[in-house]
Amino acid sequence: MRLALYIGRRFLFLIPQVFLISFITFVLVRLLPGDPARLSLGPLAPESSVEALRAKMYLDRPIPEQYVIWLENAFQGDFGESWVNNTQVADDLISRIPVTLELIFLALFVVFLVLVPLAIITASRTRNWIVRIFQNVTFGYGMLAGALPDFLLGLVLIFFLFAGAAGLMPAEILPGPEGRLGILDFEPPFVTGSILIDSLIAGDFEIFWSGFMHLIMPVFTLSFVYGAPIFKMLRSQMEGALKADYTTYAEAVGLAPTIVLTRAARVAAGPTLVITGVVVMFLLGGAVLVERVFNYVGLGQYAINGIVTADYAPIQGFVCFAAIFTMLVYLAVDLIHFAMDPRIKIGGTQA
Amino acid sequence: MVWLRIRRTLLALPKWQLAVLVMFFGWIFLTFFGPYIAPFPTEVAEPTTRLLPPSGTYPFGTDENGIDILSRVLAAPRTDVVIGVVATAISVLLGAPLGVIVALYESRGGAGSTAFAETFMRVLEVIQSFPVFVFAMVLVAVFGGSVTNIIIAIAFVNTPVFVRIVRSDVLSLVQRPFAEAARAVGNREVRIGFRHVLPNALPTVIVQVSVTVGFAILLTAGLSFVGAGVKPPTPELGAMIASGAKFLEIGQWWAAFFPGIALGLIVFSFGIFGEIMTQVMEPRAVRRETDRRREHALETGGDEPEVPDAPTVTVSRMREPVLTVEHLGVAAVDSRQPLLSEIHLALEAGHSMGIVGESGWGKSVLVKSLLQLLPPELAVTSGSVRYLDHDLLTMSKGSMRAMRTTQIAAILPNAKSQLNPLTNVGDMLRSALQAHEKIRAKDAEVRSIELLEMVGIVDPAQRLSAFPHELSGGMAQRVCLAMALMYHPKLLIADEPTAGLDVTIQRQVLDLTRTLAEEAGTARLIITGDLGIAAHYCDTVAVMQAGRIVEINETERLFDAPRHPYTRHLLDCVRV
Repeated sequence: MRLALYIGRRFLFLIPQVFLISFITFVLVRLLPGDPARLSLGPLAPESSVEALRAKMYLDRPIPEQYVIWLENAFQGDFGESWVNNTQVADDLISRIPVTLELIFLALFVVFLVLVPLAIITASRTRNWIVRIFQNVTFGYGMLAGALPDFLLGLVLIFFLFAGAAGLMPAEILPGPEGRLGILDFEPPFVTGSILIDSLIAGDFEIFWSGFMHLIMPVFTLSFVYGAPIFKMLRSQMEGALKADYTTYAEAVGLAPTIVLTRAARVAAGPTLVITGVVVMFLLGGAVLVERVFNYVGLGQYAINGIVTADYAPIQGFVCFAAIFTMLVYLAVDLIHFAMDPRIKIGGTQA
Repeated sequence: MVWLRIRRTLLALPKWQLAVLVMFFGWIFLTFFGPYIAPFPTEVAEPTTRLLPPSGTYPFGTDENGIDILSRVLAAPRTDVVIGVVATAISVLLGAPLGVIVALYESRGGAGSTAFAETFMRVLEVIQSFPVFVFAMVLVAVFGGSVTNIIIAIAFVNTPVFVRIVRSDVLSLVQRPFAEAARAVGNREVRIGFRHVLPNALPTVIVQVSVTVGFAILLTAGLSFVGAGVKPPTPELGAMIASGAKFLEIGQWWAAFFPGIALGLIVFSFGIFGEIMTQVMEPRAVRRETDRRREHALETGGDEPEVPDAPTVTVSRMREPVLTVEHLGVAAVDSRQPLLSEIHLALEAGHSMGIVGESGWGKSVLVKSLLQLLPPELAVTSGSVRYLDHDLLTMSKGSMRAMRTTQIAAILPNAKSQLNPLTNVGDMLRSALQAHEKIRAKDAEVRSIELLEMVGIVDPAQRLSAFPHELSGGMAQRVCLAMALMYHPKLLIADEPTAGLDVTIQRQVLDLTRTLAEEAGTARLIITGDLGIAAHYCDTVAVMQAGRIVEINETERLFDAPRHPYTRHLLDCVRV
């Protein structure tokens, strides 16, 4: 009941939020320098044809009207056309969104597989040698991950593994920064857009393996850099929870160590979850840079190209997607947090 | 006070952190003077010296334009650090006050303020949901890649972070006792927000600032790296890395390597600086000092020769004691400061003993050491703790766990904070029952209701689904009491069982504890700072000072004829 009320309330806000997002994006993109009609036709085209194109793109109308037109089209799945590539933005997005999401979610998966257990172990109050070793290792990790920019880590990896004579890694074992697949590999038929899933659907294990190997470096880079905030938050929250009165009391009552630990972890999970939501948003930006470094053809590259060439429609499509995606992630995080923590009030707005 | 703390923190820093601190100030120095100490011009191309490897003349080599990389690295903090610091400063100055105002408005309650707060947060969420990096990229593309525009873009995307952090901190802080106190004294709401609450939110803000500065520098570098930030030839690390990256794969590593190292070190030293700042801001850093004071007190206080500190309890009618403590000493693990020494106690079955003394003399440490719940920083250094014929100090954790609650129960101070905020009363009771016997959830629920009834909770079935924050202090204490007495333990150790309760509730809870314990034949060790409680509820009273028991006697005798000067002092305090 409490949860249903909260969900209803949040979804009520979601609709105006999405409109606000689309409007901000729209205005922002209209402010980009350069006349799209002129850019599209080139500097030598006669003014008359530029005028004609401008009218065709509704650029001669006032901004609110343009927005309404854009919105109408967007509802029909038409996000405009890139004048650089002459492709439908909607198609581009559909083929590229899964690529980037695959990167992001695999990175998160690795974070939860490796860093979350590490955070819990190192927060432990018992000081045996295993904990000590982990504490020393993760201490170094914490230092390093906070300071290494994602693109720099990517470059460093490329340099040490693949660059010229210094390259330590034979290409047969781990492929270099050549994108999603090797140059001789064929993409599997498009179903979901995820290389791993699509190749499995096609039953092509060779492509699956190649796609997997090509994912290792970008996913490692992303999870190394963006796992740090999650790791640090969870560790400090866990340390706090294990020191807290309620943990001592749970021990004094004689509860089993696993219950004591899970109950402490439950308290630590809330803030960690919130940080994870924020990290997903940063991962989207991080994917932009990492895709660039590893020549991975995803949304990020798409956005960079759009911005560099002042290509309205792709930027708009990307920013809009990214904002709505983040919004939904925040919403999911808030809902889970709300379900987990009875202290959050229905009307309340936890950070 | 702040200076004292800074000094203390600096002295306590590990050597490597000091080194990083020096490096941090090195970067600050370069931010101001870097461009002037660069040995070569930083923006003039020199085609004859393109891509030279590191050498004596060019320690870091030269870049694709033939410019000395060392000179550019020295000059670059001027761009990167200034953008990061200024952008962060703007976001804090905008975000923090906004957060305080929103939180204050919100905490006033009422439909209007909640609606406002919710709308505000949702709009903020919209701004925050634009991926920072892409948003900054678009902003820079819109307004052009000048340093000012990059600062504006980065400040803009970071402001909501501070609004959120400050708001949520203030919201939880205004509920805390000190803010209530400030309100009670008659301070105005806004004044409370800025004078009393904001300073308490400051540690969080400062930590966030250090994170944000590093992040802003990374963002600047990232933007420049993809060509949407600072444009060449301005010396900027991200752009330098981008131009060097092209030559990385053909083995000309230096052009990207040195700027990369510099960028990493800058962000790293800002991060460590932030951590050091956190330690400075954290008043708890002063704690070691108080411990030292205690140690000092222990040395002098214990040496007072007037009365031998041997226990003077009349043991003539002592039957088999439930709890026997001999020569118990506890010390801090790393500093070896003794916190307790030579503690002797004996508690007879069904009897009650009070331990009194001012706070800070080790009463709670004694409780924790009796219960085998000392934090890892403290350890028993000598003596023995025996329960019946079990030696608790050498007992395995598992057997100790089995005895908890069933034989040795504990009540710890501030019941509300003893209950896990995310576990409701029913789950807490059920897990306590299931920890000690095989019992189905259904039966556990029935038992839980009986237990809550036993401690006088009205409507017990309803209370099972209540979470600690929904309980009053007295109710939480009753829940703890129900848990403590659910197996009729032989020994109950109650540490400040009435802390935080008002006087009438104190009496109710203590009376109830006594009644139930006497019914079950439970011996009680009651630790309290309140002599009245000790006088009323305990058969014998021990007086603790500076980690020792200085006097122990039957209650009436102790109050009629105190022997130790500290006991007399305590009694005088009450009688005045």
